Amino acid sequence: MDGLARYGDDIPEFDRFMEAIYRPLPATARINTLKTDRDRLLCRLEVAGVACRPFTWYPFGIRLQTEKPGNLVENLMGHIHLQEEISMVSAVVLDPRPGERVLDLCAAPGSKTTQIAMMMENRGLVVANDPANGRVASLRSNCERAGAINVAVTRYDGRRFPAQKFDRVLVDGPCTGQGMARKDPKVLDRWSLKRSLGLQRLQVALLKRGVEVAKAGGTVVYSTCTFAPEENEGVVSRVLDQVRGLSLQEVSVPNLDGSPGLSIWGGSLFGDEMKRCARYYPHKNDTGGFFVAKLVKE
Amino acid sequence: MSQSSLRNRPPFSPMDGGEVAEMMGSRFGMPPEAFEGVSFFLRGRNVWAFSLPQVPDLDFEAVGLRFLSVRGRVPKPTTYALQLFGRFATKNAVDLSDGEARRFIAGKRQGLVADLEDGYVVVSHRGDVLGCGLYSRGELISQLPKERRIEGKEIESSPEGCGR
Repeated sequence: MDGLARYGDDIPEFDRFMEAIYRPLPATARINTLKTDRDRLLCRLEVAGVACRPFTWYPFGIRLQTEKPGNLVENLMGHIHLQEEISMVSAVVLDPRPGERVLDLCAAPGSKTTQIAMMMENRGLVVANDPANGRVASLRSNCERAGAINVAVTRYDGRRFPAQKFDRVLVDGPCTGQGMARKDPKVLDRWSLKRSLGLQRLQVALLKRGVEVAKAGGTVVYSTCTFAPEENEGVVSRVLDQVRGLSLQEVSVPNLDGSPGLSIWGGSLFGDEMKRCARYYPHKNDTGGFFVAKLVKE
Repeated sequence: MSQSSLRNRPPFSPMDGGEVAEMMGSRFGMPPEAFEGVSFFLRGRNVWAFSLPQVPDLDFEAVGLRFLSVRGRVPKPTTYALQLFGRFATKNAVDLSDGEARRFIAGKRQGLVADLEDGYVVVSHRGDVLGCGLYSRGELISQLPKERRIEGKEIESSPEGCGR
């Protein structure tokens, strides 16, 4: 079993979902406004004969029609960052402002980190944390290419990140990655309920720490690229049960077709408020799969 | 690497930002305003550019952007520093043709007649900075990091522009 059949009753238009999940992803990139602006970049690509189309929901995202987007000069210059369309949602929901202090707790390889740095116009502070040595190299390399001067890289175990106070925290947790199947179908073979439940313990601990280091009134965004409710609503509902003074906010991104989070799954009753989370399915926006929840600390 | 070995690294020491700006001014004619709101720190033989005047109290792998290497006889700006600040250069900067840019991004050296002093220069293509080059006796030597080079890339520009 590929771990997807169990979603038959919960994912809308499941036949279309199953068709979409094996189609390759379109090549997409984010315009890096730390180094260029949108018109200038679109002009450069046009002159170079590279066809592209902006996203309907995010002005800095573009779909590219080119064989090897990694070989574009604009990529070398850091004017674009190759990033899957749906993964741009986390930072949009986090909504960081210039001058704030922001923590990206599970940052590597840094696509969302550099998007946050750009939204903050290279001001304030983004602490980009990731414990894995190998992954920190790609994180640093991506921050350098992006021209981010407001990012500082740390390598703590996220569950024990030192006491600090942040305006906003992104917990883009490690997950079973089913939503990445269009990029690498093997993720589906690696899925098991045991893996989802094992990751759930880690995800809960990471999100709890993320909430602890947010200041009063701060925003915490939790996201994954998997469909497994154990790693999504199951994590958010546990943290809401265990930590007092948190409110779950509605996630809604204009012009992006999201589905509500699940209030019930198997034997677990997550509660109606979980519908405020957003699920993004491949057949709805022609993207990968994603889950986003937004918490505000009182 | 363990957390304890992180603590044994040399610290990020604050630098006089005016001094760094002056260095970039004298080599590239960049105005001091280009570095407003940017703080500089020295660790080992590298100067780092950072958005805050103080490094927060955490064990950092990196703080901001590696800006200059002060290892050699003259300070060498990183390609990433020039990609970010190079547009402010008013001298020792050169805009390459399509063919020259293709050789530059492949990491090659090439003969080039240009109004440049020997030393490190800002290299751009169609007004956008590609990175750092070393100009010496009429030759331009690409300083692009090896992992960023692109071999055999055709660069085409339509002479009409894009009409935007």
